[in-house]
Amino acid sequence: MVPTLKGRWSTRILLFLWVGVPITFLFSLFVAGPGSPRLPLIGLHYDILPFQILSLLLIVGLILDPVYFYIQQFRWERDWPFAFQFFFSIIEFVIVLGLVWWGALNFSQARPDLHSSESYFLYTLHFAFVFIPSFIAVLGFIQIFMIRWRFKSGEWGRM
Amino acid sequence: MVKFPILLDIYQRGEGPLKRVERISLPEAGDYSIGRIGDNQIVLDTPEVSKQHAWLLVREDGIAVSDRGSTNRTYIGDSEVDTSPWDGALPIRIAQFEIHLVPQTSAGETRVNVPQENATRAFSAGTTSSAPAARAPRGQSIEVALNAPSAPNETRFPRNIFKGEIVSAQEIKASEFFAGETTYITVGGGLGSFVWADHLRIFGVGTGEIRAIGDSPIPYANYQRLCRNSQIPPHERLRSNSLSTPDNIWGFPGYASRETWKDLKEFRFTGIKYIFQVFGEASLAQTFTPRSGEVFKSIDREAQRIGWRDMFVAGRVLSIRKTNDERYAVAYRVPEDDARAGVRERVMIGKFLHISTGYPATRFTDDLQAFKARFPEEARVFNAYENHEAVYRNLESNPVPATVVVRGRGIVASRIIQRLYETRDKNKHIKIVHQMRNPIGKNEGYRYKRAQRYVYNHIENQAFNWPKATWGGQLLRETERATPEERVKIYEALGGTTTADRRDWRNIIQLGIGDNWYQPVFGHFETLELVKTDQGPKIQMRLKAQRNQPAVEVVADYVLDCTGLIGDITHSPLLRDLAETYKLPRNLGVGGGKIGGIFVSPDFEIPALRNGSGRAYAAGQITLGGPQPGVDTFLGMQYSALRSVDHMAVLGAPNVSLFGPLRSFSQWIKWCKNATP
Repeated sequence: MVPTLKGRWSTRILLFLWVGVPITFLFSLFVAGPGSPRLPLIGLHYDILPFQILSLLLIVGLILDPVYFYIQQFRWERDWPFAFQFFFSIIEFVIVLGLVWWGALNFSQARPDLHSSESYFLYTLHFAFVFIPSFIAVLGFIQIFMIRWRFKSGEWGRM
Repeated sequence: MVKFPILLDIYQRGEGPLKRVERISLPEAGDYSIGRIGDNQIVLDTPEVSKQHAWLLVREDGIAVSDRGSTNRTYIGDSEVDTSPWDGALPIRIAQFEIHLVPQTSAGETRVNVPQENATRAFSAGTTSSAPAARAPRGQSIEVALNAPSAPNETRFPRNIFKGEIVSAQEIKASEFFAGETTYITVGGGLGSFVWADHLRIFGVGTGEIRAIGDSPIPYANYQRLCRNSQIPPHERLRSNSLSTPDNIWGFPGYASRETWKDLKEFRFTGIKYIFQVFGEASLAQTFTPRSGEVFKSIDREAQRIGWRDMFVAGRVLSIRKTNDERYAVAYRVPEDDARAGVRERVMIGKFLHISTGYPATRFTDDLQAFKARFPEEARVFNAYENHEAVYRNLESNPVPATVVVRGRGIVASRIIQRLYETRDKNKHIKIVHQMRNPIGKNEGYRYKRAQRYVYNHIENQAFNWPKATWGGQLLRETERATPEERVKIYEALGGTTTADRRDWRNIIQLGIGDNWYQPVFGHFETLELVKTDQGPKIQMRLKAQRNQPAVEVVADYVLDCTGLIGDITHSPLLRDLAETYKLPRNLGVGGGKIGGIFVSPDFEIPALRNGSGRAYAAGQITLGGPQPGVDTFLGMQYSALRSVDHMAVLGAPNVSLFGPLRSFSQWIKWCKNATP
């Protein structure tokens, strides 16, 4: 990949909207208990927590993107190998876990279950569900829909 | 002034060196025709020569050569010519023949192949023949008959119909040359044309609206020839990325995953490594590059899918003009077999024009060119892009000590060294002298802003011929936005000769240095002479000293010039005519004073060729120095094709869709199913 900073942000938001949000929605239906709020009209139980985790991932990523772009400046090809992308995605998730542990999500309501080992397992499962399709999308599936993406350093839209 | 009679030596290249087959004498001024059939004054009787191939126009004040629209063309040295004055410094080349002008002394006698300044040198007389060669018997490949010169052909096509900058579409349509009208014409017929036509087809244009005019119906024919000669057989890997896919406009699936898939289908689980290569490149794994044979196969499949044969027109484009109805007229000459009542000239009219004619010529550095001209019978100096298989064959079949000088430090030099290394299996006495202009220290690689290029064995290493981000990242953006002067600086910093960081090549160099059969030398040749030794004629060279090092003397059997191809568009008669007629602005060239390719906008439009609502685009090498550095690459051609086709879509060009996500996806499915777009 040869992203620019704008391209990194664009791609991140694109994946958040088209991969992260739909998968998180399904995941939140899956983890919701009887005490969770219900969706209007359909009446299914959902959980807000996965959306909070996903948003944290997005925010951490957007903040780290300039750092990655700075590192790129020292690479002759100004590229970003897929392996780096893979590695730093996991680092981002570890940072999010650290933030959760620190109490970043304690603002909304008291969630005694937030720090149980079962919860951390679910966070990891959720991350895997979102991360693997996103990574595969970056490997080439985005190009199937957005032919110009690879020439636009990761930005959307026309030339 | 020309002295009569003029003496010409005709040489023929067979399996090995050039053989002189005939000497002819032209007694007076006139137009001498050269061709295959008997009514020419100079008959070169092999199928590669056209029936009426060229004119030799001999005047009191000089000689000129003029191609008559031959299939295999006419060259002076390595430059293709339409009509050009000929001073005899370089031979005229027609198929496997070379015509040399025999130098004339003041007394009117002739000396063969030995330039004046060398006549007194001891070795010259012994090594080159100074006696006229025996006449070839009649009925052999050459036949010379001096018939009366025919009338001069002043009004040659297309000058007789292309008068001025704007030509009349009505007149052309009324003429016998008119070959039809279409919407999209691409000139060149090579990979650049193919990728452009592929985009148009997938964006919605039918085969009936596209015409591609070129030499060979196989779009990669020329590229494949260059690959073969520069030692990339089908199983060898190109210098190209997995996602640079001239057969697939999306770049997905790339060649790496296709290769993995192919291996897995046959239960070769090691195939998974290709995907890991792409995953880890370039920091954790060696960069993946596809096999040339696989790329060609994939292009065959796509050509079939989009109906390339229906769009392809065999012909050689001679000239292009704007028409008076906001379109373009393309004059070309079809092969003899396609002649219509003897007429081979055609003019096609189109609304949108695309020019992608590629490299005009192979480069020979001047000293090697001069050597070849002086010693045409010695097949010892080759450009790596020429067919030089005979060198390896001779080295293998005759296992005696031999020295090969490889000139240049690019990827072609790496491949040639690899081939020589393989040749060493059969001849352990081969030594390689690798001549480079100057040494490059470990920390002397090019710098651009905060990054520096890696150097190994005095050669800068880079996966591809430009840094990756020039094909769609930060470096492309910076080049696009730069002023012409800034662009030159970017090109200078990012360009330069590089080779790929391949483990096998490094091992070869290490082995060679260790076992003392590989030696890098630095400098320019001061002398380049033919000497007679006990083992036969050899090339004696002296390299000018560099950086306080002593001058190097080398006695070589062969010199392989790996310094590349000529990108100067003025070597192409078509582009020269176009540039002169419409005063096309050119890009600034790298290295001060040089001139680059045709100036194009970031959409690859040639602004100076705009004709009302008609638009002309260019792609490939002929646009070098413009908004995108890697123009002569697969991915570069995909980029320029996408830019220009997108541009036409916005202009409302017929049947070119805006190609949003849904159409893109449905077309991709068609690609996967190998269905017509």
